[in-house]
Amino acid sequence: MSASETCLYEAQGVSKNYGSVVALQEVSLPVHAGEIVGLVGDNGAGKSTLVKVLSGAHQPTAGSVALEGTRRVWKSPREAIDAGVETLYQEAGLAPHLSVSGNVFLGREQTVPGLLGRLGFLAEKAMDAKAHADLERVGIAVPSSRRSVTELSGGQRQAVAIGRAVAWARKVIILDEPTNQLGARQAGEVLHVMRAAKAHGLGVIFVSHTLPHVLEVSDRIVVLRLGRVVADRPASSFTPDSLLGAITGLAQP
Amino acid sequence: MSGAARPDPGRQQDALAASRSAAGPPATDPARAAITPLAVAARAAGSQQVILLLVWIGMVVGFTIANSIFFSTAVFSNILADWGPTILIAVGETFVIISGGIDLSVGAVVGFSGVVAAFVMQDLTNANQGSAETLIVGLLVALGVGLGIGLINAILVTKAKLVPFVATLATLAAASGMSIVLTGGAPIAGGPADAITLSTPRLGPFSSPVIVVIALVLILGLFLHKARFGRYTYAIGSNAFAARAAGINVSRHLTRVYALSGALAGLAGMFFYLRLGSGAPTSGAGAELDAIAAVVIGGVALSGGVGQMAGTVLGALILNTVTSGLIIVGVAPNWKQVVVAILIASAVSLQGLRRGARSQT
Repeated sequence: MSASETCLYEAQGVSKNYGSVVALQEVSLPVHAGEIVGLVGDNGAGKSTLVKVLSGAHQPTAGSVALEGTRRVWKSPREAIDAGVETLYQEAGLAPHLSVSGNVFLGREQTVPGLLGRLGFLAEKAMDAKAHADLERVGIAVPSSRRSVTELSGGQRQAVAIGRAVAWARKVIILDEPTNQLGARQAGEVLHVMRAAKAHGLGVIFVSHTLPHVLEVSDRIVVLRLGRVVADRPASSFTPDSLLGAITGLAQP
Repeated sequence: MSGAARPDPGRQQDALAASRSAAGPPATDPARAAITPLAVAARAAGSQQVILLLVWIGMVVGFTIANSIFFSTAVFSNILADWGPTILIAVGETFVIISGGIDLSVGAVVGFSGVVAAFVMQDLTNANQGSAETLIVGLLVALGVGLGIGLINAILVTKAKLVPFVATLATLAAASGMSIVLTGGAPIAGGPADAITLSTPRLGPFSSPVIVVIALVLILGLFLHKARFGRYTYAIGSNAFAARAAGINVSRHLTRVYALSGALAGLAGMFFYLRLGSGAPTSGAGAELDAIAAVVIGGVALSGGVGQMAGTVLGALILNTVTSGLIIVGVAPNWKQVVVAILIASAVSLQGLRRGARSQT
């Protein structure tokens, strides 16, 4: 298929069993550069499992993932991150006692040059400036990247978490429930950041229970039910009712 | 203590509410909303150490008024000699508690490492080794014993997945038991005769071991606040899940933190040896509680992710000043525990009050 040639990141016929429990059955999910794919489904439909396979946290029982047409086997999330696939987990969040730039650079700190740098001494000013620039580049205005995250509002925190993932992602970004527990205005900012990521040519996988958000921002929507893909269509072809019907299986989409 | 253990949820919501109310209409620039709580927080963090310093100065003045003998080189030298082992294990405890754990074993490690080092130095002295070589070997043995127990703590916490409280309670029991078994309860002397002279003041009230301790505290303070080692320590104590998701090897870092705490306790064991001229199995008994008290008074939250090295330094100094001061003004030494209790309660409730004041801004 010619479509697969332009495909940026893809789950191909992925199945995942936990003992005798089948969590995913031959699921395929492609995402293209500059595309937002909404991934929806009821609790237990397999969304989290699929995210874990795509992010490198779990290996599929059968099937594979492919990045830019090359089959990849992630042994750890680190490998996926290094290959350009960033994941923002719902539970992970930020380290609240660190500064904004401390969080943006967490795990990838820059050190000062010379001997002190080899001892791990941090280039705080450079990271503060770069964190500010990176967040601004992806459309997030934080007054000072030196501020402790504890002093930020819930919406600002989520924006920083997403900004961090978007800033580091080189190819694909997977967002697991990024608008959960946010007010309308804050959720709007998150959707804005996702559009900015899309405009920068990233492939975005957007996992959410909040169907209006999914319908608003996605180019394509993939519906999972009981571990299978039951719909994969342009977002414009869904209405709120038909999407809900596809998720629950109570009405034909 | 419970006040320090729960810094977050209420505060977050309050900070959120505060930034909203400061922002006025929803369209206001978020930058403006941020300024007020930020400034208040910065002021509060700065004044934490200032308050402790004022408390310490107040104590020195008060004890001096009560008995003018207090204000002398001899007394300060004694306070610093008490402070040495307290601050060594309090510094290790600072790293451990900021990482979200606790190390109860350090007091027992002080006694055990001192005893083992004392046996080795006794043997070397009997074999007519020079005192400098003997002391260096003793120092390395004490450090090694402390490091070893620290690594056992680390394995229990990261591999056996024991809660740090339980893991280090077990090594506390094991180490203090071993000290008694090895010595029969008596101090082990017979090391280099001039060991104890090292503990005499050389520079004003400062003895050589105290100068080494001060240098070490400065270096470790820099590693806590300026280097990756400290950054990971805060990150893990703040949100271990986020640290792991960011690619930090949490187990490896915690191993280093507990090893550091153990090694510093081993060094404190050697410090005691140099003061007493012998390795006493009970020399560090209860020292872990003094260290934890110093850390808590200094503003480190037992819930992890919060604390400053300067706070720990001042917390330990206040504790040791109280100990010497009460003796000099003629109060029975057992009252020290009561004073420590009052200090802990007021320090922690003050922290809670200030948090409350901050979130109402």
